Amino acid sequence: MRSITSLILVVLLFTAACKKAQVPTAEVNVAQVKEITLDPNSPVWDAVSLHVSKMILQDLVEPRLMEASTSETQVKAITNGTEIAFRLEWLDDSQSDLPGPKHFIDGCAVQLPAKVDPNVPAPQMGEVGKTVEISFWRADWQAIVEGRADNINAIYPNASIDHYPEDAKSLENNPQARAETAARYAPARALGNRRAGPRDQPVEDLIADGPSTLSPAPNAISKGKGVRTKNGWAVVITRPIPAGFTVSTPSQVAFAIWEGSHVEVGARKMRTGWVPLILK
Amino acid sequence: MARVNNWQLGREMSYWYPESRPQKQFAAVFDTNKCIACQTCTLACKTTWTSGKGQEYMLWNNVESKPYGSYPLAWDLNLLSLLDGQNWGEENGQPVYKGSTIFESAPAGERVLGWRPESEDYAYPNVGEDDCAGGIEHGASIDIPHQMAWFYYLARICNHCTYPGCLASCPRGSIYKRPEDGIVLVDQNRCRGYQECVRGCPYKKVFFNPMTSTSEKCIACYPKIEQGLSPQCFANCIGKIRVAGFINTPDKAEADNPIDYLVHIKKVALPLFPQFGLEPNVYYIPPIHVPTAFTKQMFGPGVDKAVEVYRNAPNDRDLTSLLGLFGSTEAIMRKWKLVGDKAIGMDENGKELVNVPFKEPVHIRPAYDKLYQITRTNCP
Repeated sequence: MRSITSLILVVLLFTAACKKAQVPTAEVNVAQVKEITLDPNSPVWDAVSLHVSKMILQDLVEPRLMEASTSETQVKAITNGTEIAFRLEWLDDSQSDLPGPKHFIDGCAVQLPAKVDPNVPAPQMGEVGKTVEISFWRADWQAIVEGRADNINAIYPNASIDHYPEDAKSLENNPQARAETAARYAPARALGNRRAGPRDQPVEDLIADGPSTLSPAPNAISKGKGVRTKNGWAVVITRPIPAGFTVSTPSQVAFAIWEGSHVEVGARKMRTGWVPLILK
Repeated sequence: MARVNNWQLGREMSYWYPESRPQKQFAAVFDTNKCIACQTCTLACKTTWTSGKGQEYMLWNNVESKPYGSYPLAWDLNLLSLLDGQNWGEENGQPVYKGSTIFESAPAGERVLGWRPESEDYAYPNVGEDDCAGGIEHGASIDIPHQMAWFYYLARICNHCTYPGCLASCPRGSIYKRPEDGIVLVDQNRCRGYQECVRGCPYKKVFFNPMTSTSEKCIACYPKIEQGLSPQCFANCIGKIRVAGFINTPDKAEADNPIDYLVHIKKVALPLFPQFGLEPNVYYIPPIHVPTAFTKQMFGPGVDKAVEVYRNAPNDRDLTSLLGLFGSTEAIMRKWKLVGDKAIGMDENGKELVNVPFKEPVHIRPAYDKLYQITRTNCP
């Protein structure tokens, strides 16, 4: 019995030695792969070098985050030559994906300079004349994409609703009139606020020229997928590889994390400065 | 922060943006002594604007019983407990606020002093309804005017403040104050649902819509205002407690402007929690039967004078006639005058919109109707 136990111990130690923890790199090295993946659990990521980004408080502009939460984010990146994918993983014990009063949503963002240039914009969301592009993933959008219903009972299961105007009997055979009536009571959707509508992607494309200037990007170019890990999130965000980003022309990237249960939203976030982005 | 003049405080104060008053400022006067809490205003608003998905819990207009009612729960008590030293002084015979506003008390890292309601805080819109302050002894009867237990109804909409807390709180500039009428709106295309405005509005009159993840608020029925008409909650008020209009600053007060007359000339209508520092533009004639220690905290140091003026209304033909114009027309009265025994409400060009007899004629109807040979009863 003792010899069997010893044998198991030896096997376990050998296995652990083979899975030696990766030594993080100071920069985000983008590995070239044949196929890009949206799956945070894909084995493609196993061979990619790891960067660990230390997060800092957004404490430059009001409203500020005054108490630190997420301390670091593990980052990996791959490209197939046309698209680039970032995998972010961080610890967050509580899953926050239901919006509501004082309920905020877990999320992460990848920020890139709009132009690959040694003279980078300010890392805090760019500056006038030096635009940054942002791909923003949110946990509630992930839940919606995965099938959570677009109704109040998905958020408040015990809510009892008497009637919505679009449910009027006179409209039951007129889908267009129903949609128009519903839009009257959802002005953000009626105006095309991308933030407000039902979603087919958990990621939103944004641009900014400094704090308070965040705006929708002209085109939706990013995709993404987030999954819960044992005690946090793993998220993959893909987007077209920045024009001019080559092996000999590195760029920069920055990250932000929002922990919903810590009342983090908008400017109240953990962030990084610029991190070198290098194509290997 | 900029330095701006807040006449309700009798002094300058700090605000996130420089002073920029609109060409006209939408304003209103609510007579709390006439409100019966029928909630017709609440329903008029609800059916007009907030019947959609994600708006279920929203009441842009609500009526709560004071002292115990509040929607969302403890909206007033929570901020009052955060705001230190709300003391008033006097300079040159005029009240001056000596405490700090929500802007001057903003903690480090924040734009304003505020707090966020939880979902559950919106779950009890009728909490405290008709609950009296103090107990009623067995066998007690009410004498008028009485000094026993009391409560009163406080109808609330967005105050379309001169210095809005919501506007100052929004880091994206998604909230704006219309230059043409001072109505405060959330840009539904720009809002990203950070709920900073919900946190920053001390009156808690901005609401987060969980279906669109944007924040929404009372729009003062601006499509009606643009046509010279009163908002839905005014037009449908059974008790005729409300009058809508536009207010000038005290130095430009016009006696024939109904709002100016009530607020600046007679000083019978007072702002709600002026000490918060927002210069709110809905004014209340305070309840005359409530201990003034309570109403002074809520409406400021002008309560004693306002109550005195209101109690004297039977001897004040001008005031009585203007009070009689409340709720008499859906059109917004920009001017008014008393001619003979009639109060006349007018548009901005002086054209008559409505006239109300100073004293309603009394018709005595005999119990027995000889014409129809029938005895009438008082059954409803």
